[in-house]
Amino acid sequence: MMRCPPFRYLAPETAAEAARLVAAHGPGAALLAGGTDLLPRLKRGQAAPDLVVGLTRVAALRRARAGADGLELGAGVTLAATARHAALTPAHRALALAAGGAATPHVRNMGTLGGNLCADTRCGYYDQPRPWREAIGFCLKAPAGCAEPAAARAGEVAGTCWVAPGGRRCWAVASSDAAPALIALGAEVTVCSGEGSRRLAVAALHRDDGRAPLLLAPGEVLTTIHVPALGPAWRTTYWKLRRRGSFDFPVGAVALAVRLAASGEVLEARAALGGVASRPLVVETDALLGRRLDDEAVGAFAEAAVAPARPLDNTDYQPAWRRRALREAVAGALREVRGDPPEALGVLARAAARVLPRA
Amino acid sequence: MIGLGERVGASPPRVDGAAKVTGAARYVDDLQPPGCLVGRTVRSRVAHGVLRALERDPGFDWSDVTFVTAADVPGRNVVTLIEDDQPVLVPVGGTIRHHDEAVALVAAPTKEKAEAARAAVRLVVDPLPAIFTLDDALRAEVKLHGQDNVFKRFEVTRGDDVERALAACDVVVEGVYETGAQEQMYIEPQGMLAAWEGDTCHVTGSLQCPYYVHKALKVTLGLPAERVVITQAVTGGGFGGKEEYPSMIGAHAALLARAAGRPVKVVYERDEDVAATTKRHPSRVRHRLGLAKDGRMLAADVDVLFDGGAYATLTQVVLSRGVLHAAGPYRIPTVRIVGRALATNHPPHGAFRGFGAPQTTFAYERQTAKAARALGMDPVALRRLNLYRDGDVTATGQTLRGSVAAHPTLDRVVAQLEQPPPAGRRTLPQAPHVKRGRGVATYFHGSGFTGSGEERLKGQATVAVAADGVLEVRAGSTDMGQGATTTFAQIAATALDVHVSQVRVAQPSTDKVPDSGPTVASRTCMIVGGLVDQAARAVRSKLEAFAAEVGLAADDPARGDLPALARRWAAARGELAETHTYRPPAGIRWDDQTYRGDAYPVFGWAACAVDVAVDTDTWEVVVERCVHAVDVGKAINPTIVQGQIDGGTVQALGWALWESVQYREGKVLNDRMTNCIIPTAIEAPELETLLVEEPYAHGPFGAKGVGEIPMDGPGAAVASAVEDALGVAMDELPLLPEVVHRRVRAGRAGGAA
Ligand SMILES: Cc1cc2nc3c(=O)[nH]c(=O)nc-3n(C[C@H](O)[C@H](O)[C@H](O)COP(=O)(O)OP(=O)(O)OC[C@H]3O[C@@H](n4cnc5c(N)ncnc54)[C@H](O)[C@@H]3O)c2cc1C
Ligand code: SF4
Repeated sequence: MMRCPPFRYLAPETAAEAARLVAAHGPGAALLAGGTDLLPRLKRGQAAPDLVVGLTRVAALRRARAGADGLELGAGVTLAATARHAALTPAHRALALAAGGAATPHVRNMGTLGGNLCADTRCGYYDQPRPWREAIGFCLKAPAGCAEPAAARAGEVAGTCWVAPGGRRCWAVASSDAAPALIALGAEVTVCSGEGSRRLAVAALHRDDGRAPLLLAPGEVLTTIHVPALGPAWRTTYWKLRRRGSFDFPVGAVALAVRLAASGEVLEARAALGGVASRPLVVETDALLGRRLDDEAVGAFAEAAVAPARPLDNTDYQPAWRRRALREAVAGALREVRGDPPEALGVLARAAARVLPRA
Repeated sequence: MIGLGERVGASPPRVDGAAKVTGAARYVDDLQPPGCLVGRTVRSRVAHGVLRALERDPGFDWSDVTFVTAADVPGRNVVTLIEDDQPVLVPVGGTIRHHDEAVALVAAPTKEKAEAARAAVRLVVDPLPAIFTLDDALRAEVKLHGQDNVFKRFEVTRGDDVERALAACDVVVEGVYETGAQEQMYIEPQGMLAAWEGDTCHVTGSLQCPYYVHKALKVTLGLPAERVVITQAVTGGGFGGKEEYPSMIGAHAALLARAAGRPVKVVYERDEDVAATTKRHPSRVRHRLGLAKDGRMLAADVDVLFDGGAYATLTQVVLSRGVLHAAGPYRIPTVRIVGRALATNHPPHGAFRGFGAPQTTFAYERQTAKAARALGMDPVALRRLNLYRDGDVTATGQTLRGSVAAHPTLDRVVAQLEQPPPAGRRTLPQAPHVKRGRGVATYFHGSGFTGSGEERLKGQATVAVAADGVLEVRAGSTDMGQGATTTFAQIAATALDVHVSQVRVAQPSTDKVPDSGPTVASRTCMIVGGLVDQAARAVRSKLEAFAAEVGLAADDPARGDLPALARRWAAARGELAETHTYRPPAGIRWDDQTYRGDAYPVFGWAACAVDVAVDTDTWEVVVERCVHAVDVGKAINPTIVQGQIDGGTVQALGWALWESVQYREGKVLNDRMTNCIIPTAIEAPELETLLVEEPYAHGPFGAKGVGEIPMDGPGAAVASAVEDALGVAMDELPLLPEVVHRRVRAGRAGGAA
């Protein structure tokens, strides 16, 4: 039944207080931002915290500040506000597309950027109501029905994975749109705990374990996303594969950022894939450095980029289609940043925002 | 006097519109009688097996839980419809025949307690081998129904021996066409509320056919007709999905309420609704079409297979409609159509807008497209050569007499295609790897019940001066969003010459409205609307005579004020009710044994053209243009009619391109709106919907049905357009990108055999 179990709710006014409350309470506590990821999970019986600590009253988390060194977005800034933030430059296009192409307008108005980075991994065998999962005997990600972060973090393995039976790991898919885009932009985050705060790269926020993908200690609160200022020589984009132009999570995505010399050679490049592993996959870009983005370079890079991707049968679409379409998306994204006009990009150009331009 | 903007043919606002947009409308989940309990259903977790025992967790607190099993059914443990094969609850010792089948019921004061109680019941089941494919059903190693697993077989033949006729053709096109299950995905999940008053059972809920539920509950509860009262609550969509299944939920709620001695409400969760209730029949149609070199169609041989699922439900009627439409709107002298519905261990498939016709339309329109290619003919020209005209004879031997708009609808589409496409439409860029194609389809849809159905049914409708003096329409037909209430109000208001607001349409309840027959089969406006029109005219002449009797002078303006006359009548004489009963127009004949004669009172006609762009990187299909001309006889309320066509078109495009119900071992894998997806506004193209009005002499103001026909043809048009773009046969739906990719890789060439 799709109803939230009962819980106690506290809404402190500072992030440090929120961190302290969660740390003091232990594993039965959960942070709540926009709730668009957490509340459906509670309804599906994937978590049953007895304490929920809301971040909505932490005003600092909703602030955004633009400075010479870039943009500081509070973790509580909504996806909608992120996508249309005045301080985003054309070089931040990847973030605008990722945040603006996630979910639906309603969800983007509630869902936060911080929540997006911390959202759970997804799997067709897991994102089901409890009775459904009960009927298949649950799975590795939550062998007893409810996610038990403590046990999962301790690395205990019980139950079966329906995607890769016999295996000992969970392959649930990192489905955040913002994470790969922020990685490509070279963004960092600040997290605070009761004791203090630390800063780390978005690329260091996740690990490839579907059960416990987030590398935050219990009680750590993500407070700020630091997006560097990127000069005009940077070109970035984000292409997302999904069934429809709205609602659907990415089943494959690529975020790309390149700095081009006037002559067209690549001076710097960063790329990340979404939706094909339990964490955003950082793509090796050295092969592009010093090269022009001719068709041969584009093709070779796309092929190499998707090689480590391991789409499995736990999202919409078939794995083979996802791998193939993702390769085309990587190639298309590269062609976009090298400056091909939209007409030449064909359909995949719209994979970026996934909304067709109106004639 | 009725204003011009309210008459039949104008589009006054919907009479239920304000309540719906302000939230005042009361759906079943809004009803909360005091002491009402929450009912939940304990379901099977295998597709086939013998139920050995039901075990209740002894550690659970059952003190405030009502628990009901098959043993508590006072009448017969069946959901009566056509065959009495489906139990209300599977009894211990009985056979579970599909996943998520109801085996027991619980009711408790809160949702949480009811859910916990549901989870505290354990089923002991001996699994049996199951059938999930048409081929396994045909092989009949496992026998689910009789010796051959065939629920029902129909055969229609016309003309010569079909093999001989095909052998004599210049060209024979052959193909096998498959379509998948489709979920109705009405916005309001199913739900029913039951309360007993003494020994009378009142059931209110989300439903299409109050008298179907009434018929079923009499049997389940073992009660006489007058002690079962079924009322429709405001209903949020049906599309056929609330035709048969509400009888099941109504029975469950009634049994729980009877055992608990309190009202009980059973409202399904979305996942439960998708997993357990009926969907469109998956199908496989083998079709051979023979033509002369000049394009004349000479012979058709069609073999139709439907996956009926675990119980008969309405399958045989769905199959019948599929079969009766399977030769298409074409003059073909020799025809053989054989249709079979097979038993499997899927949850029962049942009624869904189109009712079997979309599946067979997909096959014959794909065949027509392939025939045009095989002959090197323009697909429109080929259709023009063969489409029915007035006076032609159909596959069942029915002579079409009037209201045949096969050519006018196609002409309208062709003319519209000459016009520039609508501004603001969504298109793909022009690029080498974007391929484009166009597909056309022409089709028809019988209005009203099949064959002798309407004659047997004898639907009734009443127009009354109610006791409070208000003019009232009383019909068992329901509004589930399609606009029946407004349509009836407009028909009655026009006949009575009063404002639409001066007519009240009674809430359908079996103790207040006559049995108008079910709200299905594109019959509500044409058949029941006609009865409303006649009854309203009768009321009007009675009131006019009354005016003379009470001595109003001929030139007294009060004589024309029907609402005032109605009030006077009520004060003086009480109620005035005029009930009319359907009588088929003279000369209609149908033989159920031979399946020959007038299959439908009249047909609606339609043509659709679709332009697609296919991205050959991802194999996604984008509908860039969709022109759809539909003949409705007469649009009583053009806005509502256009809404019906627009909605039906998008539902058809959804079936063609996105909607895929996936079963694994008979269980629906994608049972929620996040994974059982339907198109959104972004996917819907700018629709170019054209109304054609070829009046039907026996319909109200000329009206025919409109509800279903828009569902029938766009699927074939889309597939033909994709085939046109890629040069590879597209013979299945839905054409998901991965399906298009698979077919391209397999490189199965289309065209003539
Ligand atoms: C219909 C639908 C479609 C969706 N489609 C997409 C999609 O296409 N792409 C996509 O990326 N997402 C999608 N989502 C998921 C979700 O809406 C987004 O990821 C959203 O950004 C989550 O943000 P939130 O504020 O609602 O997070 P919440 O639900 O409040 O929190 C998510 C998780 O992050 C933790 N958390 C939140 N804030 C913090 C913080 N400051 N510090 C530490 N932990 C924190 C919470 O404890 C929780 O575990 C969809 C959701 C729905 C309901
Ligand atoms: S990948 Fe395997 S273990 Fe992880 S959620 Fe899916 S089924 Fe469970």
